[in-house]
Amino acid sequence: MGVYIAKRLAASAVTALLTSIVVFLLVRSVPGDVVGQMLGQTSDPVAAKALREFFGLDQPVWRQYANWLGRVLAGDFGTSWTRGQPVMGMVGSALGVTIQLAAATLVLATAIGVPLGILAAIYEGRAPDRIVQAFNLLGLAAPVFWIGLMLLVGMSSSFDWSPPLMYVPLHESVSENLSIIALPVLSLALLQAAAYSQFVRQSIVSALGQDYVRTAVAKGLSTRTVFFRHLLRNIGIPLVTFMGLILIQILGGAVIIESLFALPGLGRLLLSSIETRDYPVLQAGLLVVVVIAMLVNLVVDLSYRIIDPRVRLS
Amino acid sequence: MNASSVDPTFRQRVAKHARRLRHEPDLLIGLVLSSFVLLVVLFPGLFAGHSPLAVNVDRAMEAPSATHLFGTDDVGRDVLARVVYGARITLSICASALVLAAVIGGALGLLSGFVGGRIDMLFGRLIDVVLSFPPIIFGVMVTGILGPKTTNLIFALTVVYVPLFFRIARSGAMAEAGMIYVEAARSMGLSQGRILLRHVARNVLPVILVQCMVLFPLVLQIQSALGFLGLGVQPPTPDWGAILQQGKDYILLAPWMSAFPGLAILITALALMLVGRGLQRRMDRR
Repeated sequence: MGVYIAKRLAASAVTALLTSIVVFLLVRSVPGDVVGQMLGQTSDPVAAKALREFFGLDQPVWRQYANWLGRVLAGDFGTSWTRGQPVMGMVGSALGVTIQLAAATLVLATAIGVPLGILAAIYEGRAPDRIVQAFNLLGLAAPVFWIGLMLLVGMSSSFDWSPPLMYVPLHESVSENLSIIALPVLSLALLQAAAYSQFVRQSIVSALGQDYVRTAVAKGLSTRTVFFRHLLRNIGIPLVTFMGLILIQILGGAVIIESLFALPGLGRLLLSSIETRDYPVLQAGLLVVVVIAMLVNLVVDLSYRIIDPRVRLS
Repeated sequence: MNASSVDPTFRQRVAKHARRLRHEPDLLIGLVLSSFVLLVVLFPGLFAGHSPLAVNVDRAMEAPSATHLFGTDDVGRDVLARVVYGARITLSICASALVLAAVIGGALGLLSGFVGGRIDMLFGRLIDVVLSFPPIIFGVMVTGILGPKTTNLIFALTVVYVPLFFRIARSGAMAEAGMIYVEAARSMGLSQGRILLRHVARNVLPVILVQCMVLFPLVLQIQSALGFLGLGVQPPTPDWGAILQQGKDYILLAPWMSAFPGLAILITALALMLVGRGLQRRMDRR
């Protein structure tokens, strides 16, 4: 187990390193940098040169990368070029917002999606199944930002309510925080609930045709025992894998939803750092996204072993 | 396409596939909806009476009416016309990205799976880099850094979907490489390249084509999301995501500006999803 985790972490580290190189090269391969943005078109060449030297932009790309990597490995992500704040703090507080959004979405999507999927599987081919399947299809086809916009319109026209414009963190005011993230969470969760319920339905329907279920029923076990002790355990692995996928999807969807609802999360931070060519923030933000995605995948793979002792990790 | 011993003519085969549709209402609905979308793409003039670019400030933000079925936008353009003409732009971008991704990902995957060894390792690592991002974030990164241009948008979407085609083609090629017919072809003295192109690729091709249909709605979602973020097609060109981005600022004043392009995305994605699934199901049954 320990060896396996070490191997996986090493492989992830290599991919993260490659990713940071790709991002670094991509960012620097296009014309225009932060200095151009700061000084504008009619800039003083002397000042521009001085600023580029200050940011280290006058050095060859490989040396810039080596410097950056050296500092990152020492735990220093540098200072934002546009805001002058430590990158670590900016990414950290943005990540907090996104994590809250993702966690709430995951909980809500599971709470809606799993029961719907089970319901559809139990009534396979009958009316409840059809209704759930229609919901799934619509949920998967509707663009997430459109759902968000329509929820805004619906709430304001039927309840004359629209969410506050300024973000308030959870620890300052629980009720205000919840009223701000309610619509973003709901828009993200509808899509993921559809994906979830479809997946759960499919897993159960195909498991119902398996021999072990038939055996358990033939032994005279109650439906409840068959369902909870046999069936759910067997679809556990794909379910956990799926949860990991959903979590990564939510992370991506958050970029769109955060910009729509003006939430100061990681997605918005990435977008603004791209716009202003704030390289240190952009690199750190992307690195964090990649590392999170990798950790999620690792946790998913490890949980296989806990759910199903048959799995040998290789 | 099928395994019957009598070689049926093309027309008989079409008739047979069409008859089976009666038992697959979802595929049928998908095909009907897709044909409708295709009609809109090919003949936008039939569906829109106004120009998608004609500005008329006097009639800005009018609610849907008989003259403007979907209402007008903030500068008085007909929203119906913008949605109808936008279909061609939005969907051709998605389709080009898909075809490019299928060709590049498919070719690299076939090579990687069939040849194996170092090439497989190298490609695998590169693919991991792309896969380590959530797709939309990768799209935002590429279009954001390279700049909001249609070619950059297509490039970003292509890169995001190459890994998926790569994986499918790779596992297909690996499975085929172990088949007896490959060994037979080799023992007959056929070169590796010839076996790969004429035999293995031909057998993997149907899977890749079905995958194109399955992925199309996903590409559409990401394309429109990037448009919505302002990183896609730039105004005044009508593109579904871009129209939504414009409508966002007037969402409470003129919700029809956003409602209809979103509905267009929803219907198209639904149609493509139903077709993709129907095809996948037929494929799995074989």
